[in-house]
Amino acid sequence: MYRNKYTYDSEQESAGNIQHDKTLQREINLAKNIQSVLLNGKAPEIEGGEVYGSTMPARLIGGDYYDFYPLLNGKIRIVIGDVMGKGIPAAMLMILTRGAFRSAAESTQSPGKTLTAMNQALYEDLRTLKSFVTLFCADWDPSTGLLTYANAGHNLPLYIKGKDPLIEELPKVRGIMIGGLPNQEYKEETIHLEKQDIVFFYTDGIIEAQNKAGELYSIKRLINTLLQTREKNVAEIEHYIMTSIDKFTKGVPQRDDITMVVLKIKKDQADITSLNAPII
Amino acid sequence: MELVVKKEIQGRKIILSLKGILDISTTNMITAQFEKIGDIDLLIFDLQELDFIDSTGIGSIIETIYFAREKNFMIKLQGVNELTDQVFETVGLYELLKAFQEEAV
Repeated sequence: MYRNKYTYDSEQESAGNIQHDKTLQREINLAKNIQSVLLNGKAPEIEGGEVYGSTMPARLIGGDYYDFYPLLNGKIRIVIGDVMGKGIPAAMLMILTRGAFRSAAESTQSPGKTLTAMNQALYEDLRTLKSFVTLFCADWDPSTGLLTYANAGHNLPLYIKGKDPLIEELPKVRGIMIGGLPNQEYKEETIHLEKQDIVFFYTDGIIEAQNKAGELYSIKRLINTLLQTREKNVAEIEHYIMTSIDKFTKGVPQRDDITMVVLKIKKDQADITSLNAPII
Repeated sequence: MELVVKKEIQGRKIILSLKGILDISTTNMITAQFEKIGDIDLLIFDLQELDFIDSTGIGSIIETIYFAREKNFMIKLQGVNELTDQVFETVGLYELLKAFQEEAV
């Protein structure tokens, strides 16, 4: 084979590029693995209730986030969020958000205060990076059945009343996204959850999933699917919804990350049995 | 997926009409306008023909709000459809805009 300097250099460069691509691919896969491990931590075991979360990034890794944090006072703190954008940049900020949540959950006494602390911690970084995060944070107290929550720019979860085939949003509570304005106080709302009630936390990737005709999965389809599956356990509900979205989109590439957390109250008295965090 | 940005200058007012999709692939068309904005009093985003906006698109409007604060001009959003209005309301975009506009008055 004839070689001149140009072809040699170009081949060398090409070989370098291939090696670089392989390295990049390997690192992305490692990052995906890190994100997957952090997101798929052990869900707390709750007597009398169950909670389950899942996420499916639109790309290899994503910017959606959910977490559970059992508190020593017996409550469980749940958070779901969506970092602006997609892919690697959003995933990096998602990890930053997770760290801020874990730290704030340990040192604050309510969901609103957790969001305030997170906004204080992340505001400067997010402004510098021209980004923001929407978050919804809730404390569920199994001993009283009370769900207290606060919102930083996220869509309201759906509330399925066990006894009736009724689905509605949780009573409205508003707050600005994390990284929008400094020194924010986040208002809280509280509802009483009855036996077999379900609270469905989600990100907009679910209702904005599109089919070939350009139709959206929409809140209407989500509600119908939840109504059909509300008798099942949380893992089955999650699976049913993922399958329903899959059937609807029929292979159309996913446009946004999809994330959900399902909280369901059982018939028995609830009590958190796996505690891993102190609270001040 | 594309976005068409139409710019109309009326004295010390600029109207940016957005048509199409404002997402990660098109937001640079908004930030590219920053350099071209001179000494104005008001920037109007006309979103009547905006078909879709994602979080990155919302981020570009937030950036414009911060830019307006720095350059001391007002921003108005008009022709916002119901779905986009709901999204802006949820994320707190109106609240952010209001906070800066009140600060400017």
